[in-house]
Amino acid sequence: MKTWQKLRAQPELLDRYLIREQVADGIRHHFKAKQFHEVETPLLVAYPGTEPFLEVFSTELQVTDGQTKPAFLITSPEFALKKLLAAGVGNLFQICHVFRNGEGLSSRHNAEFTMIEWYRVQADYRDVMKDCEELLVDLLTQVKGLDKDRDELILTYQGRAYDLTPPWPRLSVAQAFEQYAGISTADLLDTKKLLRIGQKKGYKVDSQTTWEQIYHQIFLNEIETKLAQSHQPTIIYDYPVSQAALSRRKKDDPRWAERFEFYLAGLELGNAFSELTDPVEQEARIKADLALRQKLGKKEYGLDQDFIAALKLGMPESAGIAVGIDRLVMLFADTPSINDTLFFPGVEVFDLVG
Amino acid sequence: MATIKAGNISKGSYILFKGTPHLVTKTEFVSPGKGSAFVRTKLKNIITMNTIEFTFKSPEPIEDVDVQSREMQFLYQDGEEVVFMDPRTYEQLAVPMSLVEDKVGYLTPELACYVLIYQDKPIGVRVPKNVKLKVTVAEDATAGNRVNAPKKPVTLETGISIQAPLFVKPGDMLSIDTETGQYVSRVN
Repeated sequence: MKTWQKLRAQPELLDRYLIREQVADGIRHHFKAKQFHEVETPLLVAYPGTEPFLEVFSTELQVTDGQTKPAFLITSPEFALKKLLAAGVGNLFQICHVFRNGEGLSSRHNAEFTMIEWYRVQADYRDVMKDCEELLVDLLTQVKGLDKDRDELILTYQGRAYDLTPPWPRLSVAQAFEQYAGISTADLLDTKKLLRIGQKKGYKVDSQTTWEQIYHQIFLNEIETKLAQSHQPTIIYDYPVSQAALSRRKKDDPRWAERFEFYLAGLELGNAFSELTDPVEQEARIKADLALRQKLGKKEYGLDQDFIAALKLGMPESAGIAVGIDRLVMLFADTPSINDTLFFPGVEVFDLVG
Repeated sequence: MATIKAGNISKGSYILFKGTPHLVTKTEFVSPGKGSAFVRTKLKNIITMNTIEFTFKSPEPIEDVDVQSREMQFLYQDGEEVVFMDPRTYEQLAVPMSLVEDKVGYLTPELACYVLIYQDKPIGVRVPKNVKLKVTVAEDATAGNRVNAPKKPVTLETGISIQAPLFVKPGDMLSIDTETGQYVSRVN
């Protein structure tokens, strides 16, 4: 039975689907109160984002004279939003659908999903960390009807209580590897040493294995699983510079980039940067990404020259983040799967087995 | 024993993990955004029955374990053992109760099952997708709200209890889905 049919048979299920509406309203209310502008940018574009490991949906635009142009669905509205920052719009956000192909459909993934991205000008990633804390507290109090000043800020998800009271614990990537995996910074950033440690820990390492694979495998197996046990959200910050294509290097230590992610109940909820504003470095990183895409056999497309032009004209110092709304809705609706909060989950749209 | 890519392992298959065969009970694709692909799995050690979580690199080679499945009939249950028989050779095989778990309530004499065997030892039992069981206890149906297809609890010949439609009476034969434990139909 499809969800819409189930809702007809069991109207009491509807409440859980309507949490999405409350979360979207809560996000808009939060940012409008902070004087952010809500903007719309295209979902169908000529030059999508260049993350090498994400696959895009591609189609073509038919022009009336019979010409066609390659067209793609965005994996993130990032390029367009940064052009608007260069245009002088100021603090802004967009809530939209984004599309990622080839990731499979699961309890935490849908090929089409809802994202909010927000950007703050004259700010860095520490300001966005505070935004995240304030946003989640606002959503909690609105959705659960709590009083911010009197009630305990507890979110109950799948039988476990999480305290959202700011400030949330902050842990750098270097600290996390040291504390949870017993790996020093010197070993972490040295390819040969990290591969040897990975092998000793029992991960498969052969001549094809890369630093990036072992880095992530240790993170996923030994660090993310520990974060899942915490009764608070955790902010993980300062990533190895190779893991941050669009973020600024730290001024006092160029081995790390000003990027953070925040986790709650074992879920990665958002990914933030102090944005890279240097057009020369940005163009070089995008070209490297596009070359890697080719090597990995991903869809090929050009570089968004407009985006580089915007950086050359001058994008203000800013920081921004993308947060998956479906996962927030799942947390506030207290369901084990995002599919329990979507009227039309992808598995039903495409008649796949759940 | 064959080698497959971690990205292609599926729920319900058996793999060799750290030298021990494990049943894959869950798989989920993970892409850390700016990174390559990984597969998060839940694995059940078929010797100790402990479940662990492990995340593989998607292209990493995994050894597929050769598990034989042998068609056998359920004979009887004896304390901590469930005994099956090969209908051709009459050979009997005792399977530890822990391997049959929640399926024991679907076993009736002569039911054809598949016993999974690894290195000459039973490691699990597959029961048919649907089984037929007789109703032993069912209260009279109460009329009332019929909009949401009302159900009532009934007890079956093996002692398990399920939710069935109101028209079900003692003596009825029901078809039960052994994966979900739910009523499928009446098959008198």
